[in-house]
Amino acid sequence: MKHIIVVGGGIAGMQCAVEAARGGAAVTLIEKEGDTGGKLRNWHKLFPTFTPADEVLSALRHRLAREENITVKTDCEVTAVTPRKVATASGEELACDAVVLATGFALFDARVKEEYGYGIYDNVITSADLERMFNDGAVKLKSGGAPRRIAILHCVGSRDEKVCQRHCSKVCCVTGVKQAIELKKLFPSADVFNFYMDIRMFGPGYEEMYREAQEKYNIHFVRGRISEVSPTIDERLQIKAEDTLTGRPLKIGVDMLVLLIGMKADAMNASLEEASGLRRQPSGFMQPRDSFLGNVESGAEGIFYAGAVTAPKSVGESLNEGTAAARAALEWLGATHKIDSQR
Amino acid sequence: MTFFADFCIPFVVGATVMFAAVVIKYAAWFHRLPKSDKLSILKGLPTAKSIAAAWEAVRESLLHRRIFRVNPVLGYMHMSLAFGWFLLIVVGWIETVAYLGFRWVPLQGHVFFKYFAPLNGIWEHKPVFDFAMDLLLLFVLSGVALAWFKRMKSRAMGMKRTTKHVLFDRIALSALWFVFPARLVAESVTCGIYGGGGFLTGGLGSLLDKALGQEALRALYEPTWWFYSCALGVFFIAMPFSRYMHIFTEIPLIFLRRYKLRPESHEKSYDNFEVEACSRCGICIDPCQLQSVLGINDVQSVYFLRDRRYNMLQQKIANNCLMCGRCEQTCPVGINLNTLRLNSRTTMRNIPNEGRYNYLRGLDRSEGEGRVGYFAGCMTLLTPNTLDAMRRIFDAAREDVWWADKDGGVCCGRPLKLSGEVDSARKMIDYNKELFRKHGIATLVTSCPICLRVFREEYDLEGIEVLHHSEYILRLMRQGRLRVGYSSERTFTYHDPCELGRGSGIYDEPRAVIEAVGVLAEPDHTRKDALCCGSSVANTVINDAQQLTIAQGVARELDDTGADTVVTSCPLCKKAIARASAKNVVDLSEIVAVNLK
Repeated sequence: MKHIIVVGGGIAGMQCAVEAARGGAAVTLIEKEGDTGGKLRNWHKLFPTFTPADEVLSALRHRLAREENITVKTDCEVTAVTPRKVATASGEELACDAVVLATGFALFDARVKEEYGYGIYDNVITSADLERMFNDGAVKLKSGGAPRRIAILHCVGSRDEKVCQRHCSKVCCVTGVKQAIELKKLFPSADVFNFYMDIRMFGPGYEEMYREAQEKYNIHFVRGRISEVSPTIDERLQIKAEDTLTGRPLKIGVDMLVLLIGMKADAMNASLEEASGLRRQPSGFMQPRDSFLGNVESGAEGIFYAGAVTAPKSVGESLNEGTAAARAALEWLGATHKIDSQR
Repeated sequence: MTFFADFCIPFVVGATVMFAAVVIKYAAWFHRLPKSDKLSILKGLPTAKSIAAAWEAVRESLLHRRIFRVNPVLGYMHMSLAFGWFLLIVVGWIETVAYLGFRWVPLQGHVFFKYFAPLNGIWEHKPVFDFAMDLLLLFVLSGVALAWFKRMKSRAMGMKRTTKHVLFDRIALSALWFVFPARLVAESVTCGIYGGGGFLTGGLGSLLDKALGQEALRALYEPTWWFYSCALGVFFIAMPFSRYMHIFTEIPLIFLRRYKLRPESHEKSYDNFEVEACSRCGICIDPCQLQSVLGINDVQSVYFLRDRRYNMLQQKIANNCLMCGRCEQTCPVGINLNTLRLNSRTTMRNIPNEGRYNYLRGLDRSEGEGRVGYFAGCMTLLTPNTLDAMRRIFDAAREDVWWADKDGGVCCGRPLKLSGEVDSARKMIDYNKELFRKHGIATLVTSCPICLRVFREEYDLEGIEVLHHSEYILRLMRQGRLRVGYSSERTFTYHDPCELGRGSGIYDEPRAVIEAVGVLAEPDHTRKDALCCGSSVANTVINDAQQLTIAQGVARELDDTGADTVVTSCPLCKKAIARASAKNVVDLSEIVAVNLK
């Protein structure tokens, strides 16, 4: 039986492991954290259907558990990858026949944009923090009160040359709309503002949700980035921005500021590039063999990609790539197997 | 002796053109000087300044003392050419006088004295002069040899890169390289025929005689003098239009500088002296990070001055400069490179829409009251950790503070000034000055070196002391109003901001503050030699990725110190280095605020 190692136990890795096992391979799924599920573990609901993230995750875990030929290794960090061998931080070397890299992305550290005051002022939170608050059922101000006015800022650590993140993180726009609606549902009398550069509604149902946010929920959309945030004497936050549609500077006081942090290439990508002879894009994400017919293949034989290791992706896209990478790996193993047996 | 031969014509023509061009140029420049500059010259002339200037001219124009500091061999090369040639002229003149007594001898008579007075034995002192002149010629020739060597291997003489020259420079340079070897050959051939000459020309002359015979030497006699004269003529004609104009121009420049003439925010006639005193030695190229890090090869001060001189300056060259001052620091002529670039920018600036500044009228967003005013500046407002640290420091020192721009203020004007928008900058300056006066502060503290510089240089804030926060914090510590905890476990490294260090001469205060809190480790380039973070507001051409590349080089040096924390005292530097470094990058005020006792 051929052995595939899937590095990364997020949704792409889980899906890939399941599909590879179903295709007849023995699979080892390696996760550096204590549990599978990756970033989705801390997410509340998914756009555009408001499906609980938990629902998707438990279904995936259920499928994973059903497959006999999958070994899940958690708390295990991978240090080096070759097509036939994966080394871990504990010094273990696992032999295999193919590797799928599903190591995902890192969240942008909002403290780098010091002018937004994350980590300096109370009530400046990130979109990831907000999901956690939704999960805990504790969306409130530091003082314990309910926010009356909330600003959501798009493109924090995306499309921003100043912090060396030129790429678009793709999912933040729609997440901003989704979170705005959720906040409005929680605090119907609150004013919710989205500060954006462009609204990119690329998926089915997204544009409709955006329209609904304006028409049904009366969420405000202001085209313009926030330039700086400062605290006020009454413990609110003052936001300075420019409304680029009217061309006028804008200053408003809000109770809460949500920063839609972008997806950043994982720091591990750089070491993969060096150690495994793989290529990276200028954004730091891994470079697939080509963008059309080889988008789950790396340049190296026997190493495949699934999910956000190659670019920011939505949950649905990452799951699809898990399947696609498993199929590509199995196909490649079948071909090499035939060559091996002919010898 | 008539002191004339046909071969003198190229020399005479060349020398005439050169002197005419130089005189016309200087006359025009002096004539166009503003009245105040002319007055300064008149006032300065009869004072000790003139003596000091004369001595400086000897030191710099002849001996090239400052180039010795860059590299001794490079210094020797420049000195042997300048001082050697000068001595050849002087000793040659003395020789003529000693031989003929005080009488008028045309210029070519001095220059081609060996031709006109080749005969040996008629004059007892001749061997002494022959020896002296040969020694000097050897001295100059050693410089020429080094110049050739430098073209091939500039690194051996302390220069990674040398200047790429324009056509006139190449002509003049080639002619100059030929002048002294041609003189050697012409004089040696003459000695070969007529005898005499020192160890060099005499020695080579008798060798030539042995090797070629008298007939050949006689055939070579006139052509070698023709060649020497042509080389001189070509050099002289090219000189006023090439970089060699510096040979003369550095001298009036030294005098004018002693009389306190300086370039200003608008171009003026004095600038010509600075621009044409540039010898295009190229010493400014290596310190430029745009060159060493980004490989940009056509914007350095040498090229900026060249383009400006030939009226072909483009904005993309003038604006592509960090104004870090690293080149100015090493310029052996001491040209005010940044000021000249700034006034070029001013000449080429866009005229802004006046209505843009209507919002200034009646605006006052300041808060608080106190004898001490704090001006954060726009970049500090974008690094609120610094602002917060300053608040804690003021609280700890129980200082009553007037906050000028906590809620957003008006720009200090320096970024506009750096773009050449001096009129717009003036509006900001006048506004802020009025604001500072209105609130009756005695001390103005800022945490931004960019603001600091314009406050000190342009604001004319009589009665208000302007301090950088590093100076202010140190003062509070020394007065005992601020107590901080020290630990040798804490290690810091410090990045000198350009505007604070080279710009304002503040190096020691931030270091004293750091050393009160922990241990300081210096990076390779430090103090006057410090690198620029790359994010300078003075450069409007390079893109963000290029800024980052420069910052990464700086961050690497700071990381190499092994210190835990990178400290700087400029919000712009902080942002620039923070995004390039894995280390914790903080403002000086932050390390003080967290270690307050």
